[in-house]
Amino acid sequence: MSSESRYWKSLPEREQTAAFVRESREEFPALPPELPGDRSRRAFLRAAGFTLAGAAAAGCSRAPVEKALPLLVQPEFLTPGRAYHYASTCGGCAAGCGLLVKCRDGRPIKLEGHPAHPLSRGGLCAVGQASLLELYDSRRLTGPLIDGEAAAWEQVDAVVMAALERARAGGGLVCYLSDSILSPTKRALIARFLSGFPNRRHVIYDPLSAAAILAAHERTHGVRVLPHYRLERAEMLLGLEADFLGTWIAPVEFTAAYSAARNLEAETPRLSYHVQLEARLSLTGSKADVRHALPPGALGAVLNHLLLRIAGQAGAALGWSDPGAAPLPAAVLDELAARLWESRGRSLVLCGEEDTATQTLANALNHLLGNYGHTLELAAPSYQRQGSDADLQALWREVAAGQVAALLVDGVDPLADLPDGARLAEHLRQVPLRISFRDHLDETARAAQYVCPDLHYLEAWGDAEPVSGVVSLAQPCMAPLGNRRAVLETLAAWSGPPQSAYEQIRGHWEQQIFPRGSGENRENRSFGEFWDRCLHDGFAVVEAESPVVQTFQLAALEPVPPWQPPGEGELALVLYPKVGLLDGRHAGNPWLQELPDPISKVTWDNYACLAPATAARLGLAEEEVVRLEARAADGRVQALELPVFLQPGQQQQTVAVALGYGRRETERFAGIGPPWLEARPTVGADGRVGKNAAPLLEWQEGTLRRSGRAVRLTPTGRRQRLASTQSHHTLTVPEHLRLPDMPSRPIIQETTWAAWQQDPQAGAVGHGLPEADLWPRDHPFLGHRWGMVIDLGACTGCSACVIACQAENNVPVVGKDEVARKRAMHWLRLDRYYSEPEGRLEVAHQPMLCQHCEHAPCETVCPVLATVHSEEGLNQQIYNRCVGTRYCANNCPYKVRRFNWFDYPRRDPLASLVLNPDVTVRSRGVMEKCTFCVQRIQDGKAEAQRQGRPLADGAIQTACQQSCPAQAIVFGDVNDPASRVSRLARSGRHYRVLEELNVRPAVGYLRIVRNRPQPAPQEGDHHAHG
Amino acid sequence: MASAELPLTVPLIQGDKRLSEVTEEVCRPLERRPSGLWWAALGVSLAVLLTGAAAIGYQIATGIGTWGLNNTVGWAFDITNFVFWIGIGHAGTLISAILFLLRQKWRTSVNRSAEAMTLIAVMCAGLFPLIHMGRPWLAYWVFPYPNFRGPLWINFRSPLAWDAFAISTYFIISLLFWYVGLLPDLATLRDRTPPGLRRTLYAWFSLGWNGSCRTWQHYESLYMLLAGLATPLVVSVHTIVSFDFATAVIPGWHTTIFPPYFVAGAIFSGMALVLVLMILARKLMQLEDYITRRHVDVMSKIVLATSGMVGLAYLTEFFTALYSGNPYEQFAFLNRARGPFGWGYGIMLACNVLIPQLFWFRKVRAHLGAVFVICVLVNVGMWFERFVIIVTSLHRDFLPASWADYAPTSIEIATLAGSFGLFFTLFLLFCRYLPVIAIGEVKGVLRVGREN
Repeated sequence: MSSESRYWKSLPEREQTAAFVRESREEFPALPPELPGDRSRRAFLRAAGFTLAGAAAAGCSRAPVEKALPLLVQPEFLTPGRAYHYASTCGGCAAGCGLLVKCRDGRPIKLEGHPAHPLSRGGLCAVGQASLLELYDSRRLTGPLIDGEAAAWEQVDAVVMAALERARAGGGLVCYLSDSILSPTKRALIARFLSGFPNRRHVIYDPLSAAAILAAHERTHGVRVLPHYRLERAEMLLGLEADFLGTWIAPVEFTAAYSAARNLEAETPRLSYHVQLEARLSLTGSKADVRHALPPGALGAVLNHLLLRIAGQAGAALGWSDPGAAPLPAAVLDELAARLWESRGRSLVLCGEEDTATQTLANALNHLLGNYGHTLELAAPSYQRQGSDADLQALWREVAAGQVAALLVDGVDPLADLPDGARLAEHLRQVPLRISFRDHLDETARAAQYVCPDLHYLEAWGDAEPVSGVVSLAQPCMAPLGNRRAVLETLAAWSGPPQSAYEQIRGHWEQQIFPRGSGENRENRSFGEFWDRCLHDGFAVVEAESPVVQTFQLAALEPVPPWQPPGEGELALVLYPKVGLLDGRHAGNPWLQELPDPISKVTWDNYACLAPATAARLGLAEEEVVRLEARAADGRVQALELPVFLQPGQQQQTVAVALGYGRRETERFAGIGPPWLEARPTVGADGRVGKNAAPLLEWQEGTLRRSGRAVRLTPTGRRQRLASTQSHHTLTVPEHLRLPDMPSRPIIQETTWAAWQQDPQAGAVGHGLPEADLWPRDHPFLGHRWGMVIDLGACTGCSACVIACQAENNVPVVGKDEVARKRAMHWLRLDRYYSEPEGRLEVAHQPMLCQHCEHAPCETVCPVLATVHSEEGLNQQIYNRCVGTRYCANNCPYKVRRFNWFDYPRRDPLASLVLNPDVTVRSRGVMEKCTFCVQRIQDGKAEAQRQGRPLADGAIQTACQQSCPAQAIVFGDVNDPASRVSRLARSGRHYRVLEELNVRPAVGYLRIVRNRPQPAPQEGDHHAHG
Repeated sequence: MASAELPLTVPLIQGDKRLSEVTEEVCRPLERRPSGLWWAALGVSLAVLLTGAAAIGYQIATGIGTWGLNNTVGWAFDITNFVFWIGIGHAGTLISAILFLLRQKWRTSVNRSAEAMTLIAVMCAGLFPLIHMGRPWLAYWVFPYPNFRGPLWINFRSPLAWDAFAISTYFIISLLFWYVGLLPDLATLRDRTPPGLRRTLYAWFSLGWNGSCRTWQHYESLYMLLAGLATPLVVSVHTIVSFDFATAVIPGWHTTIFPPYFVAGAIFSGMALVLVLMILARKLMQLEDYITRRHVDVMSKIVLATSGMVGLAYLTEFFTALYSGNPYEQFAFLNRARGPFGWGYGIMLACNVLIPQLFWFRKVRAHLGAVFVICVLVNVGMWFERFVIIVTSLHRDFLPASWADYAPTSIEIATLAGSFGLFFTLFLLFCRYLPVIAIGEVKGVLRVGREN
């Protein structure tokens, strides 16, 4: 290359001067020389790090302090997230059970039975549980109305007081119409209010009346009272149409007492003998040891016969000796009389018939058996029924005659409860001053000029004396919603200086109740202490007010005339209250409407119950709409169209229809349930749920008869679907689907008292759980292990647990169509099975809930592990993880899992206040089921830990267990051998349902023990040996 | 006498075709304008598909409650349809893989469309586990994937998790097998199609196939390997589907006979549907020379054999129930046959066991109309078999108190129809855009080059 010419750009380059050589090494020779300092990578990072740290430090500097003061004042004694219980009194019906109100964040969220209450003893029925929902009913009136227009209280007070003044001046009758009032303060106030009028009356009537019992006692004992029945002392119970475990007077109290007399797990096992005579199968009849279906009017004849036999035994002289034809075989009557006489003084005849003559004979029977003072008490009578049908009838006559100047209606809806409501409404409108205290617009409130809505019992002060000597307080658990006012305050304002309900009750207690305090209640205490004690406890036991009782006059007794059976082609009508709905005062409560009837399992409807044989004779099928026609005395025909329901155990000459349906309040259910393409409405064509059967009630001899009226049935050719939760009713499978030697499914196990006394394991079917296990025990269950035992002998099927569970666990209401599609959401269902050994109808109730199996079939099949076992033996459902394959539900042998088929609407923000904040509200598409009230378990454990002591047995109660009036459900730690649940699990009666599947359920059941008559030698045996 | 001719020399393809004739005859339908009949069929299929899509959309927006299910019967149409379609999806792979490995050369005329049918059926099947979920938007939770929820893993004990693997594996392998088999034909189409979008697509999907000896060698070894992979899947998929039931505790489900019973049933229904489609295709696409009466005859025999297997399974189930002495089991089967859904059981028995017995007669097998009707009935019967297994077992299990009935809603019926709409829409598109007969493979069984 040296030959090539070499070019140069500048002279320095040509010369290759030292400066040129140095500069040419630089990349950018023109740049100024390097900056001073270290410019390595490390130096850069150091500088960058310092800058970052500096910036951060600068950012951390404390900003000028601006103190924000939230406008939040924590209420005293109230910790958010912590539940408080207030002792109170239930206002769901006139039984006056003790309550513990569970409040969270200043509002009641759950009602529980008061365990220390001397009457209800810890249980609370379905109605009581559900009455909570009515507190958050956004359809309640928020303030007073004048002629249907909202008004201010001052305005109402002024107008009403002026009107009352006119009534006083005019001298017309001022009448206060109410149901039985348990509150002594309110009774006194009504008396004081009425005392200002020259012509006044307080008429009490009960839609589910026991007036005949009161009238009979007036006749036989000279006092118009209801005795206090002490079922726990009875060894022999004879129930005549009295559904005392379901709907009669005070079912919770009676159930608790009944199960106390039938407790096989007590130190000394007891099992009373219960015979029930009734026309339709009631809850009580379903528990009876012996049950005979008798037409309603035939009970009098039974009493005639029994009375003759007992009088013969007692050596008492009756004025007659011809009892008429016997509706039962003589052998049955002999046996009954013998058993009654055998346990005299410890027997009890309970009669629910609305007929004074029949009730009088029942009194005589109890008298001759020496039961007064033992199993029924007049010394401390019950105030749970005070009504008089005769007074009511007299009042309506006066209303019709235009003699009533003012009518104040409180707590009842006579236009819906009584027959001929339309005519009554016409008459009512002639009354110059009509006032209703209802908090919703029922039929009577619509006919009133002034509606002065009362508070819900959970937001008002109140008191009660359900049984003489047992007084209790009700305290407001939240500030009243809306602008309602307690009746106590309204009446006080109209009759003198306004006085708050609290002042009135405290004043009344100071003057009237405190002096009755006995022993420790009075002598060492001031009233202030007594009051505080009562507020804390919720109740007090004071001296009873004993009425003066006359001696019993046997000679005056008349036999009940024989029953006239219904004519050809007619049936005797039985109108009955349904568990849950009762007289219809809670008809607007969706929980109760969706509660399956414990016997029929039908929801959201009433229907005409017919014996299957009767239906076959009439050519009627289930769900066929039939027209019931009754002819009144004046020749008018009253008719009712209802779907037929086939009811085993129903007397064949009767048709039974539930009261309390077809109420105006049920119009709200028009839109209930998920809306979708094929959804069918919950309400009927008339926009209401069911049909009101009250028009078929009948006045007879001063009592309002619920049964015995002759009705004619004609098919209409239409059909109406009934929403039933259970479609198959026996454990024996249909005849054409069984092999000749196929055994009955051992799901319900039972035995007899005689057999059980010989062998506590009598009646066991199957082998029990196998000892050996193919799998190693991968779950050691070292700490607690939760289990449950349910005593099927004690369970009456009253369904309190179903509503308790619904309230506790935010179980949604789904509406009639969804129930009919077998998608009811109740986590706990009551399975009811019939059996017919030797032609007798027997019933078994079985609460069925998640069995929390140790080898849970649901757990293995979930692809996403949304249902898993806890280390305390709980089968847990993780809603967040569930994708909704429903495989778990399919694989559940007990079918207790519930799926959220839709987003069940919870649109009402007020109703959402009832939700338990401890329990997740489930969304669409996830599975749910009983959790054993895991929130209560956690709460109980946390509380024990907080108090630094081990968890006591019984400290954790599931909602179902808590509400059970019969205490049939026991929950606890099966790892603790001393716990109650462990002891019961060792009982000879203990078995597990489907244990042959080896899923190892954590729920066990105790066998039913029936107190059957001593098994007489079988006739067949005689023949065989003879 | 048949022995006069050696079986090997019986021509599989009739008409003594030359190689170019095969190419021409298979490709021609794709290259001319679609017929009115095709448009009409597509229109009907699309309409049914859209109805189904609307039903599914409504159901997802509103809830599973729009189906007739209840607390007792948690599966009915959904899983019935799923198992039905999965069963249909068995014939394709059986024909492609197992018959390929067994050197059953007659398969070449039908394997392409049978495989396409399989793929489409698996798509239809896969739809149901997805939409039967209460929260289908979370369906991906059934797959194990790295996550920040704990991390949460799936339940490997659950047959539904096995299902997810089995079906996705089956779909992927079937797709690959079908696609690999398509490569030479796609190249053929590419070479025949004038430039344009269609040609570009054929070219892209034929992966640069050049027909060289090397390409063929690679292709054949890959095809053989895939056949080997697919073979166990034919057995495993329906076995695993049957585990959905067999591992449960419900009487009528809890039985060890299910895996072979389900596989036999799947082949049975799949073959029947292949026959239905083939009989239609050979008529409508003038492929009588390729899909011959011999094919119909052979496949009818398979249908007859598998009918016997399912019939045996039905009998065995009853015997097992009787012999077990388990009253729940005995009741489940009596209830199946004589309970409220006894009519479904009757349809199942008649269609799956009695009617296919006609295939014992050569005349019936030779009568295309009869074969068509019988095969349609077989599919009706097989749908009812799954319905009977699922619904009658669930609706009356252990506790009589929880017994319930089941009736489908309009939404469910529309969804079932929609799955047929999807199937036929996709199948019609397949017939229109891809060769329904494996040109390359058919050429291999021609007499060309064997004349002497």
